[in-house]
Amino acid sequence: MKKASILKNKTLIIGCGSLGATIANKCSQEGKNIMVVDTDAKSFERLSDRFSGYTFVGDVTDLSTLEEAYITSAKEIIITTGDDNTNLFVAHIARVIYNVPQIYVRLSDPDSEILLKGMDIKSIYPLELSFDKFNLMRGGRK
Amino acid sequence: MKIVIAGGANTADYIIKNFKGRSNELTIINFDREAANYLAKSSKLPVFYGDPTKPYCLKDARIEGSDIFIALGNRDCDNYVSCLLAKKVFSVKKCICICSNPKNVEVFKQLGIDSVISSTEQLVQSILSESSLESLIKTMSLEDEKIVLTEIIIKSTYYIAHKHIMEINFPKTGSIACIYRRPRVIIPNGSTLILPKDKLIVLSTPNDQKDIISFVQRDKK
Repeated sequence: MKKASILKNKTLIIGCGSLGATIANKCSQEGKNIMVVDTDAKSFERLSDRFSGYTFVGDVTDLSTLEEAYITSAKEIIITTGDDNTNLFVAHIARVIYNVPQIYVRLSDPDSEILLKGMDIKSIYPLELSFDKFNLMRGGRK
Repeated sequence: MKIVIAGGANTADYIIKNFKGRSNELTIINFDREAANYLAKSSKLPVFYGDPTKPYCLKDARIEGSDIFIALGNRDCDNYVSCLLAKKVFSVKKCICICSNPKNVEVFKQLGIDSVISSTEQLVQSILSESSLESLIKTMSLEDEKIVLTEIIIKSTYYIAHKHIMEINFPKTGSIACIYRRPRVIIPNGSTLILPKDKLIVLSTPNDQKDIISFVQRDKK
């Protein structure tokens, strides 16, 4: 109906743990239009005082929560909850159902990569990053 | 058939009992120590202790090429991930997934799971069919409620009783699939006569169901 209102300009951050909150604070400084979603309202305490985005409490594995958090107008979604399976599920929903242009997902198990094949979802593995950093510090051998 | 059952305690137990023997080869995977022990004891089959959402675990359990994979875990997204792994990585022929949130049924299907069962939805369905039974109407839905079968018993006071189907101008939105007249089942055509005590099985979409019921139950003028 109102096609004009579906302007994709929001940055949606799923999960407000240390990573989610850090990204949210950073994006807020850059003046982005941010929405942070978490199941626990307490986790929003991690956001800085100067954070200027929106927060939303809800279960992200429920489509209605994602819709209320304006996933339809998201230009990017960053999925950082502590559970790999939730992250994979939300990433797939964002790609298949809502076709969000940019999808970033944090996963702890590198084996999960096989489920992201061919879906144009960018993955972040904290474990691999730490390992690479360690190797680098030890003398550049990989 | 080679069947893999992942997660679940009581539900898994019941399913195992039903499929055990009958030339089925069962693989049971459970990530809960207690449930795994319980299942091993009650089924007298080896139970694989491990997380079914991890590829290495499914590989160790040798599920490759199984016929059916059933995910019975408590969390919807765990079931989703294990089903997807079974299908995409281990080429299991059919994946059945249980989900607790009825809204996820459509979502899971869109994301590529073959068959999704929601116990909440089934409960609502059976309550609905029980409640319309009181008014002598039994309904059954197919294809996720896109098609409904309605069972209506004809009373002698109805307008359509003692009439041929071609005379009554039956609504185009529905179709009389069959008529049950003890002890026979009649597949009707235009010249079939509708008699009192006949059981009409009518096929329609849920939206048109109400109109069809009121058409059939219309009394004689």
